[in-house]
Amino acid sequence: MGISAKGRMAAVITATGLGGIVLLAGCNMPAQASQGPRPPEKIYAKVCGYCHGKDIGPIIRGRALDTELVKYMVRHGKGGMPAFKPTEISPEELDNLAIWISESEADPEEHGQ
Amino acid sequence: MSGFSRREVMRVGAVGSAMVAGAAVASPLNGPRMLPEELDKDSFAAAVKELRAIVGDDWVFADPESTVSYRKTFIPDTKGNHIPSGAVAPASVEEVQAILKVANKYKLPMWPISTGKNMGYGCATPASSGQMVLDLKRMNRILDFDAELGTILVEPGVTYQDIHDYIEENDLPYWIDVPTVGPIVSMVGNTLERGVGYTPYGDHFFMQCGMEVCLADGTLLKTGMGSIDKGNTWQAFKWGYGPYLDGIFTQSNFGVVTKLGMWLMPKPPVYKPFVVRYPNMEDVAKATDTIRPFRMNNLIPNGVLIMGALYQLAMFEQRANLSDTDGPIPDAIIKAEAEKNGLGMWNVYFALYGTEETIAATEPIIRGAFEASGGEVLTDEEMNGNPWFEHHKTLMRGGMTLEEIGLVRWWGAEGGAVAFAPVAPAKGSETNGQTELAKRIMESYGFDYAPAYAVGGRELHHIIFLMFDHGSEDSSQRAEKCMEEMITEFGARGWAAYRSSVSTMDLVAQQYGEANREVNARLKDALDPNHIIAPGKQGIA
Repeated sequence: MGISAKGRMAAVITATGLGGIVLLAGCNMPAQASQGPRPPEKIYAKVCGYCHGKDIGPIIRGRALDTELVKYMVRHGKGGMPAFKPTEISPEELDNLAIWISESEADPEEHGQ
Repeated sequence: MSGFSRREVMRVGAVGSAMVAGAAVASPLNGPRMLPEELDKDSFAAAVKELRAIVGDDWVFADPESTVSYRKTFIPDTKGNHIPSGAVAPASVEEVQAILKVANKYKLPMWPISTGKNMGYGCATPASSGQMVLDLKRMNRILDFDAELGTILVEPGVTYQDIHDYIEENDLPYWIDVPTVGPIVSMVGNTLERGVGYTPYGDHFFMQCGMEVCLADGTLLKTGMGSIDKGNTWQAFKWGYGPYLDGIFTQSNFGVVTKLGMWLMPKPPVYKPFVVRYPNMEDVAKATDTIRPFRMNNLIPNGVLIMGALYQLAMFEQRANLSDTDGPIPDAIIKAEAEKNGLGMWNVYFALYGTEETIAATEPIIRGAFEASGGEVLTDEEMNGNPWFEHHKTLMRGGMTLEEIGLVRWWGAEGGAVAFAPVAPAKGSETNGQTELAKRIMESYGFDYAPAYAVGGRELHHIIFLMFDHGSEDSSQRAEKCMEEMITEFGARGWAAYRSSVSTMDLVAQQYGEANREVNARLKDALDPNHIIAPGKQGIA
């Protein structure tokens, strides 16, 4: 994004398309777009971590889960867990996420089963 | 709580790996049932080839394994009526236009989704098998955020989490309003389904302002003020000039919405959440009559939830913890479990927003009315971290939570749930009849009645979560029959649903009458003569 959030004028349209940043004319805020693969810990915090370790889904950190299993679960879902599509978590992000979950330490803040 | 054993983990993992390996040779061309009804294999293959040329090979999914994420659903589908033929994921409006051109050429029906997390209503699955999912998730830009007006313009792939993060990162003085599963849900998708949230901006379509729609022939329509040359009022004034068109693109299949404007709520200086506990099932009438005048005069500004005890418990509990039999759980057991967890049989969640002075002036009036109706009014101080209170405290300030997904695994690891939400006037006299009817029908099929009522302004949404065992054919079939009977019986009494799962869209549409259906059909013929956008959506062919 790169521009102060306090209402700076953004007066040009710059790069567009996937991964681009768009600034619209007028007294508006800069806009946001996805910018490459997100780090696995961010995906965990913004998606997985709302259920896993929060009494909704089972704890998955610190269990040395098989990476293929993690990828299978993400793409297929299971029970109350929805499936996540390649457009939501890219193949590259999923590879990294599976490794991160598999190798992660248990988080003492998490609870449930 | 939901857990899985190491043994189960390894078993599922082995199955999963085998399926992944074996799927390389699978194709929808080997399973004609997945194909659109009126499309032969060669035409489908030709259409897929053209779609690949538009979006690239990586973003067309046309075999069972690569489309598996699009097939996951929580609702029952024992006859396989909601299996997509594939999916295509454009990254721009221009690609949407090009895709629709191909769809018209081959008569390939497209089922648009934003993120496909329409949880209680079918997730990403189409109204009929064979439709190709038009997955708009890659169109994920926040295009505009006006920090003075508190307006935003987004693409369909933007989630509430994305907007929440943007506001936090830029320290903007606004709140968003989220449905119960905000982090992974699209603001565009939820608003187009006329979903609701729990802040004073909870009626999402009411807070929508301006949209861009790609029509079936590729025409780009900007509603309201969006097409004014040099205009800058698109997200400030809803109505534009002449007929107001935005409504016909919600819960509809008349076009593909590619941009949507919304108003955001200024962050209040003070926020104070409350819960009012009522001890008995019949108290829902008194609760409703107490809430209604405060919603009408806006002393309570947010969408108020009246949460039934079982709906609450099912978020964090599984059925086996309360009962070891298959029959409906008796109210006495539910009541005892609720009391153990600091809950009533009904729990009213509302909040006040403003300054210390305005809240101090308002609170005694509201508190007095609830107490006079037999309710017990409690705040943060008394609830002291109660997880259900914390959940609603988060929702009523537009915070991020996915806890309500917990309901789906009520019957166990396989999950299963479908929502039914009939609407009625916000009068206490409407509630007990609805509760008795739903309870009688659900219990006759062996299901537990997990209700909530939501009081908007003058209307009452009865939100019934039919939880079943998706892993059991018998349970799934009972769930289908139970849902049909509920829709039919409620409809016969004048209580029709405001929204429905993909499996019951036509049934609900019938209740809105032939004239409505005929007008919708004429609009469809005019705007999408080949019926390539989401046929069957809301009962519109």
